[in-house]
Amino acid sequence: MIDFQFIIASFPKIIGAIPVTLLMAFVSAIIGWILGLGIALIRKYKIPLLSQLCAVFVSFMRGVPMVILLYISYYALPIILYNYGTRIGLNVDINLLPAIVYAIITMTLGQAAYASEIFRAALAAIDETQMEAAFSVGMTKRQGLQRIVFPQALVIAIPNLGGLFLELVKGTSLAYYVGVYEITATANLLAMPAYNFIEAYIITTVLYEVISFVFNFSFRKLENKLRKFRTGVVVY
Amino acid sequence: MKSSFKPETILSYIPKILQAFPVTMEILIVSLIVSLIIGVLIARLSLSNEKWLKNIAHFYIALMRGIPTLVLIFLIYLGLPQLALGFGINMSKISKITFIIICLSLGSSANMAEMMRTSYLAVDKGQREAAYSVGMKGFTAFHRIILPQAFAIAIPTLGNNIIILFKETSLAFSISVVDLMGKARAISSASYGANKLEVYIAAGIVFWVICIILENLSKFFERIYTKSRKKVAI
Repeated sequence: MIDFQFIIASFPKIIGAIPVTLLMAFVSAIIGWILGLGIALIRKYKIPLLSQLCAVFVSFMRGVPMVILLYISYYALPIILYNYGTRIGLNVDINLLPAIVYAIITMTLGQAAYASEIFRAALAAIDETQMEAAFSVGMTKRQGLQRIVFPQALVIAIPNLGGLFLELVKGTSLAYYVGVYEITATANLLAMPAYNFIEAYIITTVLYEVISFVFNFSFRKLENKLRKFRTGVVVY
Repeated sequence: MKSSFKPETILSYIPKILQAFPVTMEILIVSLIVSLIIGVLIARLSLSNEKWLKNIAHFYIALMRGIPTLVLIFLIYLGLPQLALGFGINMSKISKITFIIICLSLGSSANMAEMMRTSYLAVDKGQREAAYSVGMKGFTAFHRIILPQAFAIAIPTLGNNIIILFKETSLAFSISVVDLMGKARAISSASYGANKLEVYIAAGIVFWVICIILENLSKFFERIYTKSRKKVAI
């Protein structure tokens, strides 16, 4: 049956792993979304070669499960880093690199692929005349994008980005397989010695539910706040 | 550390990994059917006029969307039998594939329910009124008028959900079911991990190709289904 003493003893320990989960999620999301915006722009303006490369990259990252991507980068990155290190004459000790780095790199690339699709759809939803209007008042292309198109596209993208972020937070549980001690791995570690699996995973479930609820709530709030900017976009 | 990466061997692992294709397909298809059945029930609840039934549906959807599939698998596969044993129920006879199907179905059912609810609501209200006005009864109006249109709206989301579900079948290896991913791990450990990078790249290619096929199938069905129904559009 349920061992309540175990729950009381391990609850703080598993809570202690929340920062690791959130660190992975935030770093991957911030870098990944910036990269994603870059990919979306490259594909929108059809920059030759780069555009095709990005399309293949996005398709690959979206088509392969995260676990496999994590394994590939976990085994491939040390080789790449080592070879690169020796070429520039640097003897890097790749064993010093913590596992979380591999996990963050992989998830960042994953986020870049998924976010690029969201940004692409959002940019496509902004009417071409908005850019023309920006040109007509003497703005450069950069100004037009920055001041007119991006703010409107961001408002359209926010709900989907919120969903993507929640999926990412849940996806960080897979980092367990490359040896990152986030929530799931910590729970598993604590449960092992005395087979307290049900207790450990009830705690884990509760924590993930709370985290999901908090982020869901905040994104809803943000969405409602930004809604007023939406009226500017006339859709016909 | 010297690099022993042999890219030329990647392709040779693909046929070996594909031996596990039927297992993955079995998990995918059964989970899909079960998740659609649960999805219908939950969607029905969320569209009901009773407030408490709606709340049950919303609670279920939020619960399933808040928990990572991996944690759900561990909770049900490792945790539940332990709890059941406390009540004198022995769950050790249930196969691992059954466990994985239960977990994936539960996880996917929330997405399916949301898909059904939103596509049902996306059908114009006037359609139902029009059906009533020509004398159709509730159920007839639903399955002749509303359902075909809601289905057309749902196809892209359904395709997307199937792809997500397909990628999640790769988690079956976490309880050592030999699906595509499990097979890749088995091949890799049979050679003491010497070829693990090549094997995982091969597994990635297999998943990638199947995803592309599923994506195109979804687009194909969307096209042929909506083409014959152009006249319905408002």
